[in-house]
Amino acid sequence: MNVLTIAIYIVFGVAALLTLWRIVVGPSILDRAVASDVLLTLVMCVLGAEMAINHHTRTLPVLLIIAAVGVFGSITIARFVARKDTVDR
Amino acid sequence: MTEMNAWLDVAALVLILIGALLCLIAAIGLLRFRDVPTRLHAATKPQVLGLILICLAIALSLRSWPVVAFLVPIVLVQLATAPLSAHMVGRQAYRNGTIDERSLFVDELAQSRQTPPAAGG
Repeated sequence: MNVLTIAIYIVFGVAALLTLWRIVVGPSILDRAVASDVLLTLVMCVLGAEMAINHHTRTLPVLLIIAAVGVFGSITIARFVARKDTVDR
Repeated sequence: MTEMNAWLDVAALVLILIGALLCLIAAIGLLRFRDVPTRLHAATKPQVLGLILICLAIALSLRSWPVVAFLVPIVLVQLATAPLSAHMVGRQAYRNGTIDERSLFVDELAQSRQTPPAAGG
């Protein structure tokens, strides 16, 4: 647990909190889709960083599965969202 | 040899830190940009470069060829699927009207926007 590791944890945590704030406040569902995509990427990066820091390979298949199927979430939202959900901007 | 291993670990940590900073930049961009396409622009940075940096860090940290052989398809799959979601979300944002019209200099999709709602797509 050195300075670099602590800095990595803090940066990941702040990034996740900011992304969650965007998911909460919206304003449209596509903004939330983009933000949740970023959050999924953040999960992948955290899993990989944890593997590299602790020197194990247990979560490598999880990385592959998330990279393969994580795209379907935002594709489905973008495909089936209503044509007009314009909110007051 | 142990000294070199220590240096490789430090290099892996630095790569992870750069990837984490990319994620932070994407989050700040998500908060500060105004509409969906600009937020999409910020969001695609960690999806490709950040993940490549993290995978390089894993390879440097674990130092075995089977792990590298596992990391290559992860990066390739991510490179193949990230543009799919970005394209779909951006297209739907244009059709939805959730973009800032005044920020467009050229609107090459203005005609295709007139498609009837039953045309699909």
